[in-house]
Amino acid sequence: MSRTLKAWAFLAPTFIFVGTFCYWPAIRALEGAFTSWDGVSAPKWIGFKNFYQLFHDSVFLGSFLHLLWWSLIGIPVGMGASLLVALLIYRLDSKRAQYWFRVAFALTLCLPGIVGILTWENFYEIGGVIDTLLSDVGLGRFDTAWLANPHTALGALIFMGFPWVGAFAMLVFYAGLQSIPGEIIDAASVDGISSLRRVWHVELPLIKGQLKVILILSIIGITQNLLPPLLLTGGGPANTTWVPVLYMYENAFQYAQMGYALSIAFILFVVSLVLALVTMRYLRSDNETRRRVA
Amino acid sequence: MTGHTHGNWAVRVPHYFALTVIGVLALFPMYFMAVTGLKNGIQLEQNPFSLAIAHPFGTFYRQAWDYIDGDMLRTVLITAASVVGITVLGMLSAYAFARMEFLGSTVLFYVVFGLLLIPSFLTLIPLFLEVRGMGLIDNPAALILPYIAGGQAFAIFVFRSSIQGIPEEFFEAARIDGATHLRMLLRIAAPLSRPIMIAVGLLNVTAIWGDYVFPSLVLPVSRQTAAMAVGNFQPPPSVPDINVVNLQFAAYTIVSVPIILLFIFFIRYFIAGLATGAVKM
Repeated sequence: MSRTLKAWAFLAPTFIFVGTFCYWPAIRALEGAFTSWDGVSAPKWIGFKNFYQLFHDSVFLGSFLHLLWWSLIGIPVGMGASLLVALLIYRLDSKRAQYWFRVAFALTLCLPGIVGILTWENFYEIGGVIDTLLSDVGLGRFDTAWLANPHTALGALIFMGFPWVGAFAMLVFYAGLQSIPGEIIDAASVDGISSLRRVWHVELPLIKGQLKVILILSIIGITQNLLPPLLLTGGGPANTTWVPVLYMYENAFQYAQMGYALSIAFILFVVSLVLALVTMRYLRSDNETRRRVA
Repeated sequence: MTGHTHGNWAVRVPHYFALTVIGVLALFPMYFMAVTGLKNGIQLEQNPFSLAIAHPFGTFYRQAWDYIDGDMLRTVLITAASVVGITVLGMLSAYAFARMEFLGSTVLFYVVFGLLLIPSFLTLIPLFLEVRGMGLIDNPAALILPYIAGGQAFAIFVFRSSIQGIPEEFFEAARIDGATHLRMLLRIAAPLSRPIMIAVGLLNVTAIWGDYVFPSLVLPVSRQTAAMAVGNFQPPPSVPDINVVNLQFAAYTIVSVPIILLFIFFIRYFIAGLATGAVKM
């Protein structure tokens, strides 16, 4: 009993904090989704009315479509680029070179998120870096105000961050590759399989645990990616860059529609939760796989 | 490690070449930011890639520093308090989960695990109303307390697997000497988890340092964070329009410098911490 009390004493500060600042607001958010609420007066229970309204709200429906595009392109491209760099570094023959390339990519983490976004805003301006590069290679006729043109704005937001190497993901993948036992790689080289086949049949299965974590973090990360559209487009031009989290934010803090905003959060939460759980369930972890290989 | 391709130039050169190209592209925004703060608007228009320098040297950096210095100090304090809180509370809980047997350990662990599934957008609105209800608006505590809470789940996960990886003999020896749990946490678990603590700390520093949305809801412009200052940039009227961009980029650079310094100082631990392979499922 005293052992339990001692352990609870270690845990108490954490649980007081997460109870007050994570679980309590989360519960408030979930119940607020079923209310009409301006954030000042008492919320009024209205059942599923917000959800009914959402499914007839073309801006909201469009915003989900944009998020779908953003995820389908952004997640594979981001994970692919990080994995590619991790593999390339892992294949280098010198430990020193491996170390310094990891350092170089880790430095990209130093750019605060908002600074990176504002820098890209500048790249997209008329006569900015993108336009200059296009003109230099003779494609100047495509120059446009990338973020203000309804045909290019969403694409420009998705393209932002090129070459999309997530340093954190890359380092996690690299750590996974490093931990593959040498005998397995040796066995594969003796069999004389090609480099690409080795990636597909040996290395990727053995870093599934890492791929899984990064995939889940990417799903959660992309659904809450509020800052780029908030700072650069505000949902425009012509409603082409709304994403659910931005629509939630604007409903809450511009239109004082807290209940409606929370019902958006509710749907987004359920969708990302289901996706994360499906990912956890259906991607076998590397420990299980390794047991089979070894 | 036998993962490398030895001696074969036809394989080696493309590897180095590809990594260098991708690395240069990935780091280009940082280069662009730093040099744009050094040149003036005309030099920027002529060639956005060049390393031109406006006279007198560093003039925009001086002006940007005057604009942002108070906000920087405030952000340093907020970030430091939050990261210390995350690490201390996280280590206490991770130690309990890794090394102590107690009633409810499984349930409580799932309570922490569940936090990873609560996205920040879900709690944003009620959290804002909650800290407003607590009378914390305009107070840095409105940021520090939620940041400490928000950092717990990830920190506990990673710290826990790091502590579990410490060989039993270390603790056995301490137990024979009659050491308490708190003592074993301070003398064994914490020192041996230093790389991962630094890695998690740095990730938290970058996230908190660059956070914009929640700070802009709870802090007034007169007491803003550095990220808010660059997000709501108000150029001093004395700066001609054409040079406003350069002043802005000088401010961006200044805001990034503390993080860059921290990384340079701790990069070895950071790389080592993430190389332990603690981050997986």
